[in-house]
Amino acid sequence: MTSEMITYICKRTVVSTKPAQAGKCNPLSVFDRLMEKNHIRIVYYFPSTRNGEPGVVTKKLRESLSHVLTCFPIVTGRLQKKDDGHWMIKCNDAGVRMVEARAQGSVEEWLKNVNRDKELMLVTWEDMFHKPYFWATFYVQLTEFEEGGLAIGFSCSHLLADPTSATMFVKAWADTTLAGTMLAPPFFHPLPPPRLGNKNPNHNPYTDLINHYKSTIDDRSPAFTNNITNYVTATLAFSGPMVQACMLDTSRPSPFEAMAGLLWVCVSKVKGMKQGLISMSICLDMRKQLGLDKGFFGNCLVYNKVHHAESLLDKSELSEAARAVGESVTKMNNERIMDLIEWLEHHDYEFPPLMNGHDLICANLEDLDPYATLFEEGFVPIRVSYYVEPVFGIGQILVLQSPPSEGPLSRMVMVTLPADELSKLCDDDLILRFNPTILMG
Amino acid sequence: MPQTLPDFSNSVKLKYVKLGYQYLVNHILYLLLVPIMVAILIEVLRLGPDEILNLWKSLHFDLVQILCSSFLIIFIATVYFMSKPRHVYLVDYACYKPPVTCRVPFATFMEHSRLILKNNPKSVEFQMRILERSGLGEETCLPPAIHYIPPTPTMEAARGEAELVIFSAMDSLLQKTGLKPKDIDILIVNCSLFSPTPSLSAMVINKYKLRSNIKSFNLSGMGCSAGLISIDLARDLLQVHPNSNAVVVSTEIITPNYYQGNERAMLLPNCLFRMGGAAILLSNRRRNRSRAKYRLVHVVRTHKGADDKAYRCVFEEEDKEGKVGISLSKDLMAIAGEALKSNITTIGPLVLPASEQLLFLMTLIGRKIFNPKWKPYIPDFKQAFEHFCIHAGGRAVIDELQKNLQLSAEQVEASRMTLHRFGNTSSSSLWYEMSYIEEKGRMKKGDRVWQIAFGSGFKCNSAVWKCNKTIKTTTDNPWSDCIDRYPVHIPEIVKL
Repeated sequence: MTSEMITYICKRTVVSTKPAQAGKCNPLSVFDRLMEKNHIRIVYYFPSTRNGEPGVVTKKLRESLSHVLTCFPIVTGRLQKKDDGHWMIKCNDAGVRMVEARAQGSVEEWLKNVNRDKELMLVTWEDMFHKPYFWATFYVQLTEFEEGGLAIGFSCSHLLADPTSATMFVKAWADTTLAGTMLAPPFFHPLPPPRLGNKNPNHNPYTDLINHYKSTIDDRSPAFTNNITNYVTATLAFSGPMVQACMLDTSRPSPFEAMAGLLWVCVSKVKGMKQGLISMSICLDMRKQLGLDKGFFGNCLVYNKVHHAESLLDKSELSEAARAVGESVTKMNNERIMDLIEWLEHHDYEFPPLMNGHDLICANLEDLDPYATLFEEGFVPIRVSYYVEPVFGIGQILVLQSPPSEGPLSRMVMVTLPADELSKLCDDDLILRFNPTILMG
Repeated sequence: MPQTLPDFSNSVKLKYVKLGYQYLVNHILYLLLVPIMVAILIEVLRLGPDEILNLWKSLHFDLVQILCSSFLIIFIATVYFMSKPRHVYLVDYACYKPPVTCRVPFATFMEHSRLILKNNPKSVEFQMRILERSGLGEETCLPPAIHYIPPTPTMEAARGEAELVIFSAMDSLLQKTGLKPKDIDILIVNCSLFSPTPSLSAMVINKYKLRSNIKSFNLSGMGCSAGLISIDLARDLLQVHPNSNAVVVSTEIITPNYYQGNERAMLLPNCLFRMGGAAILLSNRRRNRSRAKYRLVHVVRTHKGADDKAYRCVFEEEDKEGKVGISLSKDLMAIAGEALKSNITTIGPLVLPASEQLLFLMTLIGRKIFNPKWKPYIPDFKQAFEHFCIHAGGRAVIDELQKNLQLSAEQVEASRMTLHRFGNTSSSSLWYEMSYIEEKGRMKKGDRVWQIAFGSGFKCNSAVWKCNKTIKTTTDNPWSDCIDRYPVHIPEIVKL
């Protein structure tokens, strides 16, 4: 039934307007290389515009995409292996793939009945080819709704970009469409180099973080070789006052910590944990800690396991969980991340790991600001959904910003779990105490 | 004797001897006239004014004789002026600049090739080798239908491309020349591979609401030299119709001809042909004489179709799988060389100065009578023309012609740079090359331009234009945003 709702018109390649400088190559950083097995998918929903003609908006967006690609030679390049066996991007100007599609009905109708599978049909993606030199790393899908509205699906390999960079690219595209210039040009440079000299000889590298990475890299468990689990995603919207209530309950100053704690406790319950909490890792953007500009294009997400005290009373389980999350967040500072980078530089691995393959992952994507992406004056996205695929292991929680009309403290949480567990989660008392609106799932 | 000549020709002394010889032969009439005039002057001075008056009175003229002589003179003058062919002026022309979003970099072309021909890696390899050595740049453009994976060459897409290219070029021409559509008396459209019904000329007439008594022609199937054939046709029509404007539209529609099979000989055009078009305004009206850019001097057409090999060397046919493509034979360069020789033999006497013709004649006689081993003398066409526009059919064509005509790198620069920036745009490439020369500020009043085009059949056509006024550089032409980057050095092989 869904396949009838969307008709694919064509697939083509969009190239930049000016030729790229020949022979330029960009090596990938240690954080980039870890993410080889993952890819990101984002869907932006826009309300109907005045321009009713089908195909006009698509044409305009395609042209502005060409213009913006001139400033992102990495996006139009292709993957190649360097002499030392590590990936690099050859900026050969090959372009991004674009798929154009039409959907029946209107955007608002679609959003009422959408689920994970349907939403993923709005974002085209192709897994890496056997010969990656001819494989496009970025994909865009433009779906025009016949009765009004537009969905822009954007997907890319996690090797080149994290959700922050992907959002930044789409924002740059929107700025170019709207005003002809980019407000925040991208920065392509490597991660900060390790500090030389004045190294404290008694300096102990932060072993917890490094150990977490080590165990993930060494983990070759069959959990991610057979994906028969049917994962489903639900989008829960928590209003501002509810988030504030949660923050008060857990006495944490940050909405992320409160939300992460809440979800952690609830997911542990639906997984059948009578006591204690399941293993969870948080995933944070480290641009600020590393002193990088917000326009830094590339991966800068770091995963860290959350440790909690085993024995605790039920009542304060929520606060304990949130506190543990908070502690993990504080532990991720500049020095420790630099140690991690240094360790990764010297530690080669044969098979790329699956960073989200084992633990429950809780990613903080609050600061992405996707609702500032305006392709036309006054047309704010109705909703923006994020997916980090493929999902393996226990599950995934993405804490996102809500549309600006909901208020600055409100949050949207996208939870991906096996189908039966997710339905249990949505009925859980603790969750329902904070009265989330179930937007999807 | 042939052995010692090359040593001499390197010396400076021989250069001055050559210059003296050329000046002598080219201005022989003036040089003979001077002593005769001097002799008459001396005789007149010797005779004195009285003697001259007596001489004048001794000639008896009566009225009848005077009247008959005057009538005879007027009659001869009238016949002379009436039978002189009308001058055909090129008022202006406009070339189509494809949108930047249609750009096809090498990497994209190869990737698409790989995705479409996934079962034939050898064909993909072949295309890559061709592209590396083709002399094309990264800014050439293909029409939107060819950007799809897989390409969708429908008739609707082909018409769409035709409308885009032809209407843009026409709009540009009408704006540049201030011509009103109702003033177009003759319309000639040439497009070799796409010939719908109603014709492309009917499409133009419909769009611009041209007059109902317009003389329209649509030339199809005539290959890359059809542009000059259209100019020739326009010229002939302008001899018959006084006070008329003729618009010639030259283009090639790529969409329906993208070969999707595996035959190597047929994959070549995919790598070289690109989107392009030009619209030219020719006129024989007197008031256009002062503002016209060029005057058409000669058009020479040579057809080698009588020879079977020449006829089959560019042949459109179906491959083993039934897919239609244009197959280029391996003797293409040799046949092109033969056709060129034929064309030069005809155009040589029309344009070369007397000095070159005499040398050529003498070496010809010498080879026939004295010693057949003498090297044939290749006339120096650089003395006949200031600028050369060689159809940018491919790097091999330009190299071959540069060698045969002994042209310098600067003289073939327009052709090479057009191939680099726009690819092989078929019949309109000559006009992109003219535009290049103009934008570089090299076109001065009195300069002579030689346009040579080759086409299927096998044809070699050339046109000679004389520049009417020094042309200033402008901003509304296809080279405006990149002329400063040219000329570029084009490597032998571009590593992909």
